[in-house]
Amino acid sequence: MAKIRERYDALVIGGGIAGMQAALDLGEQGYDVLLVEKEPSIGGVMVGLNKVFPTLDCSSCICTPRMAEAAHHARIQLQTYTEVERVEKKGTGFAVHLVKKPRFLIEDDCVGCNLCELACPIDVPHEFDYGLGARRAVYIPHGNAIPQTAVLDVENCVFCGKCEKVCPTHCFDFTQEAEEVTTSAGAVIIATGLQITPMAAKKEYGGDTFVNVMNPLGMERIQSSNGPYGRVLRPSDGKIPRSIAYVQCAGSRDRSIGIPYCSRVCCMYALKQALLLTHYIHGVEVTLYYMDIRAFGKGYEQFYRRAVKEGVKATKGKVAKITEADNHDLILRVEMLDENGRVEERRHDLVVLAQGLVPGWHVGGVVDAEEAEDGFLLTPEAKVSPSHTTMEGVFVGGVAAGPKDIPDAIVEAGEAAMAAANYLERIGWRAMAGAVLGASAAKQEVVETWEMH
Amino acid sequence: MVETPGSCSGSGNEHENGARIGVFICHCGGNISDVVDVKRVADEIGKLRGVVLSTTQMFLCSDPGQGLIEQKIKELGLNRVIVAACSPTLHQLTFRRTVARAGLNQFLFEHVNVREQVSWVTEDAEAATQKATRLIRAAVDRVKHLIPLDKRRISIHPAALVIGGGIAGLVAARDLAQRGMKVTLVEKQPFLGGRVAQLHTLFPTGEDARDALKRVIEEVVSHELVNVITNAQILDSEGVVGDFRTRIRIEPRGANSQLRQRASAVAACPEQTINEFDYGLSQRKAIYMAYPGCYPPIPAIDWNVCTKCGKCLWAVGGRGINLAEQPREMVLHSGIIVLATGFDPYEPLYGEYGYGIFPRVITLQQLIRLLDPLGPTGGRLPRNDGEPTRIAFIHCVGARQIEGVNQRQPDGKVKDYCARTCCTGALHAALEIRRRHPEVMITDFYQDIRTYGRGHETYYEQASEAGILFVRYDPRHPPRVEGNPKGDSPLLVRTSDLLTGGLDVEMPADLVVLATGVVPHDISELVGMYHCAVGSDSFLLEVHPKLRPVELAVAGVFLAGSCQGPMDVTEACAAASAAASKSAALIAQAQVEMDPFIAKVDEELCTGCQTCLTVCPYDAITRDETRGIAVVSEARCTGCGTCAATCPSNAIQQFGFNDAQVLAEVKALLQGAALG
Repeated sequence: MAKIRERYDALVIGGGIAGMQAALDLGEQGYDVLLVEKEPSIGGVMVGLNKVFPTLDCSSCICTPRMAEAAHHARIQLQTYTEVERVEKKGTGFAVHLVKKPRFLIEDDCVGCNLCELACPIDVPHEFDYGLGARRAVYIPHGNAIPQTAVLDVENCVFCGKCEKVCPTHCFDFTQEAEEVTTSAGAVIIATGLQITPMAAKKEYGGDTFVNVMNPLGMERIQSSNGPYGRVLRPSDGKIPRSIAYVQCAGSRDRSIGIPYCSRVCCMYALKQALLLTHYIHGVEVTLYYMDIRAFGKGYEQFYRRAVKEGVKATKGKVAKITEADNHDLILRVEMLDENGRVEERRHDLVVLAQGLVPGWHVGGVVDAEEAEDGFLLTPEAKVSPSHTTMEGVFVGGVAAGPKDIPDAIVEAGEAAMAAANYLERIGWRAMAGAVLGASAAKQEVVETWEMH
Repeated sequence: MVETPGSCSGSGNEHENGARIGVFICHCGGNISDVVDVKRVADEIGKLRGVVLSTTQMFLCSDPGQGLIEQKIKELGLNRVIVAACSPTLHQLTFRRTVARAGLNQFLFEHVNVREQVSWVTEDAEAATQKATRLIRAAVDRVKHLIPLDKRRISIHPAALVIGGGIAGLVAARDLAQRGMKVTLVEKQPFLGGRVAQLHTLFPTGEDARDALKRVIEEVVSHELVNVITNAQILDSEGVVGDFRTRIRIEPRGANSQLRQRASAVAACPEQTINEFDYGLSQRKAIYMAYPGCYPPIPAIDWNVCTKCGKCLWAVGGRGINLAEQPREMVLHSGIIVLATGFDPYEPLYGEYGYGIFPRVITLQQLIRLLDPLGPTGGRLPRNDGEPTRIAFIHCVGARQIEGVNQRQPDGKVKDYCARTCCTGALHAALEIRRRHPEVMITDFYQDIRTYGRGHETYYEQASEAGILFVRYDPRHPPRVEGNPKGDSPLLVRTSDLLTGGLDVEMPADLVVLATGVVPHDISELVGMYHCAVGSDSFLLEVHPKLRPVELAVAGVFLAGSCQGPMDVTEACAAASAAASKSAALIAQAQVEMDPFIAKVDEELCTGCQTCLTVCPYDAITRDETRGIAVVSEARCTGCGTCAATCPSNAIQQFGFNDAQVLAEVKALLQGAALG
């Protein structure tokens, strides 16, 4: 990994799809970008998804080339497994304090052969598979990870030394410590993405304790061809589920857990997962219990129609309570909204909570931009300059400015890049970058003009 | 990393002309390998002459996948590479770059589509496997004849043309100018502002729409790099990315900046016509200002209405008005083009929910005009014997329509898409009514309330708290609007309410508001001119919603705002800035690289018959009069191949698709096939 330089044009915080897009847009315009990601690989949430609505393209087919593009771009420097400690105004730009977390190996020497991974005797639930699969204590994050560099999880390592023995480049360094690095940037883009709404507080739905109540990202992994099971099975007993329920607005539009807003993507991802389940499991019944189906994007309503036509049941009903039966089946108490509010109990062998989105990161003390009441970054000029934050020179793209789907996140990241570029021009951070554009004040030349008769 | 090594034949398999071919077959995470037996295909292909490596990988487009290709090129000295994967439109460029990184000429690469053209469309696994094998086999024979090519480099004229002066066009122009690019903004109407000017306040910020608009307009018109041309329409456009020449016609405005007594001129005009700004709810003069504070702040004359009576001229003492002003034409030179042509509100058909039959059935856009303090009624709703006391909103008018239930539109389709903005727009207006007139009873007839955006859900919550009644109708049995025989309110809305288990509802109403959808503004001429792709919803179609969301397939033409699909102001502005960002990137590179697949004339063989000139759809071929032969313009040729196929002397060959290459491919495809 290249050494961090003293000065960049822009710092992009977050290496998910929005951060990569913002970095690429700036890089293509000729600006030098430092792209910082706290995880050991870029790719964010998207790289773990199965297929994406409404086209049903595989997510990897869109995300992984973007990752490669960002990684190979001459003007983009990746800095993974690194936390942003503090971004503060200094002169015309920002002083950026980073902490590189220790991988316990010399990154530049690791060749990604994964011999250490094979040698390691410790199995740990894998974050990438949302705990449904396992990884080793030393591991390469996943097959599509960038960089393909191992990371040692010191919490779970027993220091048996087996990894060190098999490493062909002898890159392990168990004494490695976190390293503080300081650099500077003219503009900052926050693209720190999302987490799904934590459900521990939602006792009515079991509060994360029922083994067959899944989160939607876990379901994405299960459906993925490179997922933990290789097929769709329910976690408790490995049985092929025959009756699956999606509980919509689980952790959205719900003041009882402090999330009053709509999370914007859950209707569509649930419909997509449901439709794919009908393809993956012959004869499966999939029911969505929803308040409103919000299929608002381009091609989304048509996708909703298609899903229903191909057998997905959409039932207007609010799930009040989930209880667990002896065999880990789930019993849903549903208020049937289209049937005069009649209460019915439905039994399903697998339940997916269509959890909403909450901020993936909070600025607290790191960047002096303000957050809004909903916890996402405040955008005071939400209408005509939607990426502006309350701090000059700091911009926001993607879900960090509120829940949104992938196309909208990508478009907004492009907007953030444009705003950052114009800010850099205005403060004259890098006069050279503008030179190619011929910033002369000449008006557009008119080739021919004539009066008509 | 999941890698399934296929057969790897020895290096003794080199072809007689020295081709060392590497074939990489992608599983596409099951998209391909669930149907096609990729391992068997790899084994079959590995047996062919010239193939030194035939292997498979889970995701070739991922970094490890690309790394594998790079590594094998170097390790085995491959000089031809074939990737069998998804459609080349998705990742041909990705793999060309990979090949180039390994030091091989990127046009010694061939992309075979075994996903869209095989695994996604061929259900029978055996047939799909055979089809994939045959396609790759043809590519193997084709690549033996490939020659290294260089990209064409076209320099980019550092100026942008933005078509459309609504909020999206304005934001795109603002961003490009601030980035240091020269911009010409062309608007068809005499005034800037588009649809946002017709709004009163914006959701969810509640800010004044025209204030927000005015700030952007001021940034644009005050910028020294921007030229704004109103009253202008595009006549034609030619050229390619980097070098577009667009001919426009500027209609005479009739008035100019010397006009001082602007109000007097307007007041003096005796001619009236329907005011489209108020969606037909008011009248305007033949010489008019579109709205208070509009830009340019100079009246314009509507020549369809003006009788040239001269009364305006008299009223202002003859200065600043020219009734004999002539239209002008000019040609604009630009490197890129941004289309920001916007939308029109859906116009309900006659009789649709009583529209056109009952004057008290209006659209949401008309309601917004009525609520505007600067609107046709000064912000008052229509009176009978007082303010309306019962208002019904009907959602999804001209949106989410169902074939067989809703009447077809003139284009023969139903509007089956969600228009995205009308739910929040309707609730925003309904709450505004309640704020002003708490006594008004509002009923909302809906299918799903889609207040999806940041801060939008609050409107739904507030509406419920404010006692707005929600009636959910079955889209297969939409509400009916009828005259009310009882007479206390002129209208009656009937439907059955799903929320109460299908109870019949009869709701008297003084005013029925149709929350109408969004259709693209009619730009059929531009669509033809720029060869734009159009989706089944009639909106302009981006190359890919995630990979290239603001680009058209035509290089150098970008999309900004609601010409692409329904969007609210935030989304349209974000899209416009994203389009500006892509445009700026192109211009920053100063030149654009284009595929070398163009036609070339063999000067020895050309007889100068000019057949190619007549068939070229892009006017890319001219005749060199002195030498008497045809000449192809490198910049204009799109590589369609029509001339090469037509030339009676076989004097035209196309790079990348010459006779040897194409015939080898066809021959391999037909090998063993039952003909006749």
